[in-house]
Amino acid sequence: MPRRPADRPPAAAALGRPAGRLRRAVRWGGTHLLSAAVGIAVVDVGLVLVFGAITPGHAFLQLSNFTDLGLDASEIVLLSCGSAFLLGARELDISLGANVILSSVVGGRLMVALGGPTADVQQGIYPHLTVAVLVGVLGALATGLAFGLVNGLIVTRLRVTSFITTLGTLGIGMGLSYVLTNGSNIAYIPSQLQTDFGTATVAGWIPVPALTVVLIVAVLWFLLNRTRFGLRTIAIGSSRETARRAGLPIERHLLALFGMVGGFAGLCGVIDLSRFATTDLSGHQTDALTAIAGAVIGGTTLYGGGVAVWGAVFGALLAVILDVGLVILGLPTFYQLIAVGVILIAAVYLRSGTERRSVWGRLSALTRRPGRSGGNTQAGSEELVGGEVEM
Amino acid sequence: MAEPVIEACRLWKRFGHVEALRGASMAVGRGEIVALVGDNGAGKSTLLKVVCGAMAADGGEVRIAGRRLEPASVITAQRLGVDVVYQDLALAPHLTVAQSIFLGHEVVHGGWRAPLGVLARQRMRRDADDALRVLGIVLPAIDARVQELSGGQQQAVAMARAVKWSRRAILLDEPTAALGTKQTQIVIETLRSAARRGLGVLVISHDMPRMLQVADRIVVLRHGRTVADLHRSEATLQGIVLAMLGEEEARGAAPPS
Ligand SMILES: Nc1ncnc2c1ncn2[C@@H]1O[C@H](COP(=O)(O)OP(=O)(O)OP(=O)(O)O)[C@@H](O)[C@H]1O
Ligand SMILES: [Mg+2]
Repeated sequence: MPRRPADRPPAAAALGRPAGRLRRAVRWGGTHLLSAAVGIAVVDVGLVLVFGAITPGHAFLQLSNFTDLGLDASEIVLLSCGSAFLLGARELDISLGANVILSSVVGGRLMVALGGPTADVQQGIYPHLTVAVLVGVLGALATGLAFGLVNGLIVTRLRVTSFITTLGTLGIGMGLSYVLTNGSNIAYIPSQLQTDFGTATVAGWIPVPALTVVLIVAVLWFLLNRTRFGLRTIAIGSSRETARRAGLPIERHLLALFGMVGGFAGLCGVIDLSRFATTDLSGHQTDALTAIAGAVIGGTTLYGGGVAVWGAVFGALLAVILDVGLVILGLPTFYQLIAVGVILIAAVYLRSGTERRSVWGRLSALTRRPGRSGGNTQAGSEELVGGEVEM
Repeated sequence: MAEPVIEACRLWKRFGHVEALRGASMAVGRGEIVALVGDNGAGKSTLLKVVCGAMAADGGEVRIAGRRLEPASVITAQRLGVDVVYQDLALAPHLTVAQSIFLGHEVVHGGWRAPLGVLARQRMRRDADDALRVLGIVLPAIDARVQELSGGQQQAVAMARAVKWSRRAILLDEPTAALGTKQTQIVIETLRSAARRGLGVLVISHDMPRMLQVADRIVVLRHGRTVADLHRSEATLQGIVLAMLGEEEARGAAPPS
């Protein structure tokens, strides 16, 4: 309709003008600088400093310790970022640990079987080393991917919720791993895998697996914030019905997400094999839960529509820092489980309703009785956008 | 009627034991504004969702520009140039205004970035801003999230989205319910200009007097059936109310003429 430019209303005054730019900067600061990621990063650094101060000879602050830390963190950080993506789309995968184990078992078996005659392999001689490692690594990655795709197919085609689906495949994956190994870990993984990847470092202290994961995380951040795939992930998690009515290929998208995260688990299987030159059947049981906890501590909600990639990195790091610190202090690492549990609950509680309330408001609310003064009974209710909780 | 862009024939739709549509039929022609009216629960929203492919009917058929919409699919309807403002707006709370307007129609960079699907964010922000400007909507910012907007602002975003992507027909379910007088007038103007451009416009509303001013035809739905299909020249407020409520109820509700 004809309108004079002068009475054009400022549809979005923020575009371009100086005042708008300031407002955008403030908004950017609000969403990025004060975001959970930064908050958790500060906690991480604080923990590092505390451990540095109290470990004998400040052992925690030595460069070699950061190498160990990076190595220990690489798997869980990757799984945590993957989980954040799934949570963003309002799905989750609790079978990740089983996937890691199964992938490493398949990769390990392939390496041992293709390495050469059994007698040679048992002496650490691999006539077909390159082929064995290559096929083993690809086999592990393919297993992880396939595991994830199976999860995705069950969720999208059979319409079983992802919680139940992955609870099921968690058991199936563990069972298969035991069947394939008769319950004993696979030995005789070529040690070259260790020296060339698992324990290799760049510049003398940056572990190659950790570097790999950091690169993947950077790609994930880009994917989330700059691409159609990221936008659609958020849309699908924010409102499934909206996504459907906008004509998004929801099933294909979810399948891709589950496959991607499964592929990450496969990579973790490779990292596992190459670090320890064996499988770890009894480890990784709680990996998926730790990964989800890391993602949630880092600011991703369980209810879709928000992903904090770097938050997941720092959230997962928190668990690893606690673990390593307690080991150096000679304390049982069981305390790490307790601490992470407490932090998880505290983080979600403090974050609920931050738009209306300061952190101090939330803290002081702790002293009030629930139900009396204005709605603290529903910590986290603001995250319930989009209706019922479907886990 | 001009060449029809949307035809709905004998639609049936059942929800459990509720029959929302019981053989309702209607059509919208090129450049025509059709008002769909009826009591609460008459089946208007259901009819609209069936017509745009968001919901499959149990019986009957929908044609868009002569092509049968089968099976029901929003994607097919969108490709045929039909877009919708739903009664519940259907916006994702976490997306920004610009993202909401472009969801499903994202603009991506070409060249080496094309396979990655890298979003042309500035372009989408600018175009979204233009689309809103045309509707005369004041928003806090184009980067505001939908959940931060008022009901009327959200309605405007849904409207801007539908206007932007419709090529043949635009369907609106109570598009002015949350709007003030001035905003409502702008929406009405927008519908008129869409019709002038040759789009078929189907609008659901309870604002009978306004519909009488705007619509070329008024279709009345009652208990899932089409009970009246009136040209503007033959439509009166009383006639419509009578058709909406049915003879018996109307005798009790409306004053005798
Ligand atoms: N998804 C659904 N599930 C079950 N019943 C439904 C559903 N959608 C609509 N109905 C029922 O179908 C009937 C028609 O609903 P519809 O939403 O089409 O009415 P309407 O004419 O749009 O009403 P209003 O003016 O209140 O928006 C109602 O009785 C309603 O309860
Ligand atoms: Mg309705």
